[in-house]
Amino acid sequence: MKLSEHWLREWVNPDINCQALCHQLTMAGLEVDSCHPVAGEFSGVIIGKIIEAEQHPNADKLRVCQIEVGDGLPLQIICGAPNARQGILVCVAQIGAVLPGDFKIKKAKLRGVESQGMLCSEAELGLAEEADGIMELPQDAPIGQDIRQYLQLDDQAIEIDLTANRGDCFSLRGVSREVGVINRLPVNTPEIKPLNNAHDQHMPVEIKASDGCPKYGCRIIKNINMQAQTPLWMQQRLWRSGIRAISPVVDVTNYVMLSLGQPMHAFDVANISDKIIVRYSKPNETLTLLDGQEVKCLPKTLMIADQEGPIALAGIMGGQSTAVTDQTQDILLESAFFTPLAIMGKPRQYGLHTDASVRFERGVDPQITEQALDYAAQLLADIAGGQVGPIHVESDQRTLPKSYQITLRFERLTAYLGVEIDHADVIDILNRLGLSTKQIGVGVEVQVPSYRFDLTQEADLIEEVARIYGYDNIARELPATTMQPEQYCETTLCASRLRQLYRDRGYLEAMTYSFIDPKWHQALFGDQAAKALLNPIASDMSIMRTSLLPGLLKVAQHNLSHQQRQLRLFETGTCFLYQDDKITERQKMALLLTGLRDSSVLHGADNKVDFFDLKADFLALADLYGFQHDDIEINTDDLPNYLHPGRSGRIMTKSQIIGEIGQLHPTTAKALDIRQPIWLLEIDLAFMGDMVLPKAAPISKYPQVKRDLALEVDQTVSAQQIKDVIKEYAGSDLQTVEIFDVYQGEHLADDQKSIAFTLIFQGLSYTLEEAAVQQAIDSVLNALSQKLGAKLRA
Amino acid sequence: MQSQLAQISQAAENAIAESQDSQTLENIRVQYLGKKGQLTDLLKGLSQLPAKERPQAGQAVNAVKQALQQKITEQQLKLSEQALQKQLVEEAIDVSLPARACHRGAVHPVTRTRQRIESFFSRMGFSIASGPEIDDDYHNFQALNIPEHHPARAAQDTFYFADGNVLRTQTSNVQIRVMENQAPPVRIIAPGRVFRCDSDVTHTPMFHQVEGLWVDKGIKFSHLKGVLAAFLNDFFESQVKTRFRPSYFPFTEPSAEVDVECVKCSGKGCRICSQTGWLEILGCGMVHPNVLRNVNIDPEIYTGFAFGMGIERLTMLRYEVDDLRLFFENDVRFLSQF
Repeated sequence: MKLSEHWLREWVNPDINCQALCHQLTMAGLEVDSCHPVAGEFSGVIIGKIIEAEQHPNADKLRVCQIEVGDGLPLQIICGAPNARQGILVCVAQIGAVLPGDFKIKKAKLRGVESQGMLCSEAELGLAEEADGIMELPQDAPIGQDIRQYLQLDDQAIEIDLTANRGDCFSLRGVSREVGVINRLPVNTPEIKPLNNAHDQHMPVEIKASDGCPKYGCRIIKNINMQAQTPLWMQQRLWRSGIRAISPVVDVTNYVMLSLGQPMHAFDVANISDKIIVRYSKPNETLTLLDGQEVKCLPKTLMIADQEGPIALAGIMGGQSTAVTDQTQDILLESAFFTPLAIMGKPRQYGLHTDASVRFERGVDPQITEQALDYAAQLLADIAGGQVGPIHVESDQRTLPKSYQITLRFERLTAYLGVEIDHADVIDILNRLGLSTKQIGVGVEVQVPSYRFDLTQEADLIEEVARIYGYDNIARELPATTMQPEQYCETTLCASRLRQLYRDRGYLEAMTYSFIDPKWHQALFGDQAAKALLNPIASDMSIMRTSLLPGLLKVAQHNLSHQQRQLRLFETGTCFLYQDDKITERQKMALLLTGLRDSSVLHGADNKVDFFDLKADFLALADLYGFQHDDIEINTDDLPNYLHPGRSGRIMTKSQIIGEIGQLHPTTAKALDIRQPIWLLEIDLAFMGDMVLPKAAPISKYPQVKRDLALEVDQTVSAQQIKDVIKEYAGSDLQTVEIFDVYQGEHLADDQKSIAFTLIFQGLSYTLEEAAVQQAIDSVLNALSQKLGAKLRA
Repeated sequence: MQSQLAQISQAAENAIAESQDSQTLENIRVQYLGKKGQLTDLLKGLSQLPAKERPQAGQAVNAVKQALQQKITEQQLKLSEQALQKQLVEEAIDVSLPARACHRGAVHPVTRTRQRIESFFSRMGFSIASGPEIDDDYHNFQALNIPEHHPARAAQDTFYFADGNVLRTQTSNVQIRVMENQAPPVRIIAPGRVFRCDSDVTHTPMFHQVEGLWVDKGIKFSHLKGVLAAFLNDFFESQVKTRFRPSYFPFTEPSAEVDVECVKCSGKGCRICSQTGWLEILGCGMVHPNVLRNVNIDPEIYTGFAFGMGIERLTMLRYEVDDLRLFFENDVRFLSQF
């Protein structure tokens, strides 16, 4: 809602400056978004009359004008505007005037002829965005008067960002009521006098949808002078309220809407077939709107129709066929009450947010219908004459909004706000808001006026009292409360600890969108189902991620393309698995590693990160959860397609797959235009389970016995397989088994490799005998030979 | 004998002084002081001297022997000191060279802010709750007193799925889910991702919110003011000036918006606060009785307050981030600053 400060002060005029007024409104819940001067900064511009306009001797497009400016001799001013002509009243920037942009007017010679100033357009005075020629003033404008004074240009346009509940403030009437309440001032309303009817014709109205239109009022005005001009003062007020002046009929309906909050519409009576029908849309109905746009009527749209079909989208926009034009003689003024429920959502569906729809959606006062018709007729008669007909109203009492009666308990008010407000003040606040009150035992019974759609229960009244009393006048206090410590679970790993781990290991946390590009999803996961949005913001953000990897890879791509080649990234977040038409939200964690282990080659030549760097970063997490490294298996069977088949694995714990680790498949990398090896890890955090609560095990006091075994096995046998056999057959005194060397090449057959293990034995409560150790070793070797064909290397 | 001793002593001293390594020095020791060394031989020859000269001669030899031993020890020390110095020089490195495999890690600035908010409310006795990011219309809207086509929905451009579910537009859905399952007192915050179908310089289609809720007997608007003022002081680590201004949210009544005095210009007016001197930080209010009724809590017995704030906005103010889009672009040159 945008309005002029001057206009508002005509309704209610508190003795405070504009800044204070804006602050008051904001602090009462009518947030002032902006407050700007209505005109540019200028001075020295007065009203003058062109008493003579002659062709410039040396320029085709210039005229030499003699301007009467009141006292003294006429001024000679050269003007190039096409409408500069004898007899009109104009804005004269005299010598010494300063126009917007600090443009000083000086005596000048234009093509050899002296000019003592400049004639101004609206645009040059900052009164309009653009202008065709100089500004023309009404014939009764007082010659010689300062234009700022004449047009009351020392005015501010105040823009209020109204909340969805305050439909009642979409008018001068509503805003001034609030200002009056805050400042305890009476509000002046414009004088609205019902005109005598000059004819008795009325338009029949049939309401077929009274749930959407409980009340429809209209009146016919005949023989309107369509050539009449909207007075400058009205144009100015509309302009300052953000509405462009168009024609007297349209301007008057807008002016009434701004004044009283009642949106109105004018139809050309000649083009209405028989009668007005208010009904819902029919299937396949279309309507060409005022702006020439044809719309397909959506179901359950409230329509204004005549016998032949729709003529307007009720409460949103009129149709072209019945629009008022230069040829119009008789008009039908509409002033109706359409219910918020009937209009809500419709402007959005049609993409038509109009000054009318925004008001109807929030609620227009159903009791102002007739008043608006009277005010409009009165204003229009002054401007464009015509004969006014009787007001005709159809209404349905059953569907008109009921008047709420609400009890406000004083005790409740105090308990709710935490402040004791004097009862008399409470009643005063309510009354000034237009709510009538009746004191009863516990508080007051309040009758809500027809314009306050937002007040339906006690809490609403509490807010009304609080906001007028002033939120700032309510104390700040911390509640005294009973302590309820939440159980802290030591074995729950919180996400922040996990983030800390990777932060400390040199990873940067990324945050990517939950919706991703289907192409990226497909590149990684093929046909795996993903849930699609119905209304994505862009096609590359249209499906819900099932994995964090597409997002992280996109981040990698972005950074690689900005010469950032060493990347260590992690992300945790919700992924949306989609199976059998059901969504499961899973918390996942992913790492992306690429580039060099070290920023320079100083510390070793082979510097590129590899699988084992990433594996260490995963095991750090496994450590945090309390996993023994041997409980984690990296299985290379059945790998997803996006991973390099020879450099990747599925991470398993006790046969549960918890994630994948490995190198991005070169083919996928190529498809995503990534040209360096990328190492990826993704795990489903739920499968990590809880952390292990430590239970202290005894420490042996007896000496360790160490044995190294260098084994020769087939290339296909994994270190893990050998390790598993060793652990199974080495007996309970085996403490640890570690790999210390892997060798392939000379002295070995091509399909063989050698892996060397260190086994450490230790008895818990006794010193191990050499023989017992040897027995364990023999048993291990025997099993290795049988199960894996491994033999001790010579 | 005397002259022989002097000669040996002189020769030995010269040899010691000239020795450059411990092996040479050892050889010198053996040559003079060893079992078959020259001084040892001299001592052995004493028996051939007349008895009364023996003690004096013995003393003289022993004196030389001791002196030489002393010289050798000194030389030994000197040599090992030299060797150490040499080693130290040889081992010197350029300490200004880069460290090995050293990477600067960082948590995302939005996470950082979220953790600070969680920390404050945890200290105030709030539990941290979470809920689904895809939810039904009921939990995201209707239970929060936002009926279909309510104008408040227009302000929250919603992402829909074909089945009618939505990407939550606010973390308030968690409020409902917690209250459906827990009788008062309820004291929670719900941080998380929210989604709105809007993208421009100041809007990203996904962002983060923290929603808070305290429902109990005797909770008042003044408590809401107290708790949020305490939070803002904690967050900005100073006594910030705040103002509570009436506003409208369907799920609270009375509703308020909280502004803090611009942290950049201290209220004088600048670009950050659009010349108003105030920054809009969060929305809040007393839980609407309809919302309590929707979860079967009797609003006559219990009252509560709720609030919600955007984490990105607070992060931008705290760390002077001037472009919202940086948060989700994930440029490592940005991320590594936190």
